[in-house]
Amino acid sequence: MTPAYSLWVMEYAAVPNYPQSGLIYGMHNQGTRKLPYCYVVIKGQGQLAMVDVGYNHKAHGEVLANTYGVRGWHPPHEVLGEIGIKPEDVSTIFITHCHFDHMGNIEDFPKATFYLQERELSKWVWSMSLHRRFRWLMLGIDPADIMRAVDLARQGRLVAVDGDRENVLPGVDLHAAFDTHTWGSMYVTVRNDLATNSQSSWVFCGDLAYGYENLRGHDPNDPEYIPIGLATGSQFNVIMTADEMVKSVGGDVHRVIPPHEERLKDLYPSRITKAGLRITELALADGEKSQVR
Amino acid sequence: MIDDATAIYIVENRKCFEDLKQVASQLAGLLVLSASGSKEAVPDHPMLHAAGELFQEAVDAMRSARPTERARPHHEHLRRASTMIGGALKQASVGLNTCLDLDRVLIPLRAGYSELERAADELPGFEKVSYERACCGGRAQ
Repeated sequence: MTPAYSLWVMEYAAVPNYPQSGLIYGMHNQGTRKLPYCYVVIKGQGQLAMVDVGYNHKAHGEVLANTYGVRGWHPPHEVLGEIGIKPEDVSTIFITHCHFDHMGNIEDFPKATFYLQERELSKWVWSMSLHRRFRWLMLGIDPADIMRAVDLARQGRLVAVDGDRENVLPGVDLHAAFDTHTWGSMYVTVRNDLATNSQSSWVFCGDLAYGYENLRGHDPNDPEYIPIGLATGSQFNVIMTADEMVKSVGGDVHRVIPPHEERLKDLYPSRITKAGLRITELALADGEKSQVR
Repeated sequence: MIDDATAIYIVENRKCFEDLKQVASQLAGLLVLSASGSKEAVPDHPMLHAAGELFQEAVDAMRSARPTERARPHHEHLRRASTMIGGALKQASVGLNTCLDLDRVLIPLRAGYSELERAADELPGFEKVSYERACCGGRAQ
């Protein structure tokens, strides 16, 4: 069956040399790897949706570039323009969690409705009420993003989801992963044949996995789940969620898409844009032309 | 190049900056709960009280600051931020039930947070977001 949706992973910036220990639990003193920053485009069935929106360069760009080695940030209108899409055409956005590099650029999508877990919001707010010595619990949160979220809510463009929700768009489901990477992380499943018991599912996992080691371990002949390098919640919940995600794609770990995984290029067709950013094409809906060939 | 006296100012005033940022975050958090109709949005949310206490600590610390010439613009932004965030806090204490209520808090809050951002741009050592230990902002090699 022809896929219901075209799916692309769009790189918008990258850290060329990121410590592996920050990504895969236990990989201390084992060097670095490229860490791309990406968001996902879901197009089809008359819908244009995204998973996450990247960070706000105006607010964070200089510090991230100079101190943390983030390179090559480009705005959504340039990144999405490579596949013929304008940010203002995007109607639905799923925010996997509230870290600045996933939800920081909401103002560039003026017409979209944003979905995120209610728990993600309420637990961040709760953690803000704690004493300063608990500030680690607020890492990665930009207060300005919270203020922008207030505007979204007032405009009726913020949907706070409580748990799992099926068919938010046809064949697109949201799954809560509470107390994992963050308080209220979620992952997005696209059943690309629109079937209830899909044989063609994709999972967009946000930071519930940074790389394929999180989902299959280091030895392909003896797979195991290895937690990510950072969990506000529990690593137990992280690996149980990894199992849930892998099972939901019929055991094919490569259908779970970690947006920070550079090796997607080894699995799926891709190209590098003039700006040096990679576009990875996972699926093409009927009538859609390839953006990477 | 930062002189010794300014370096001391930075160290002594980091907590005040962080506290004001925290108060701004707390207020923004209450606003987003209220605007999104969250079940957690309750009148007299305990965080409002926590924000008030923290704000007072920040103001007290700021009053005892001794900015150098180099640190003066930073201190001025901090002072303006505290005035605006204090105004937002006062309005939030009145109530957060309607759109109008939200505006009364959000407008000064935004202005105050912008002042904090400007303060962070004036001197090193004042971060808008805690990148250091954030998952994807961890220090690259």
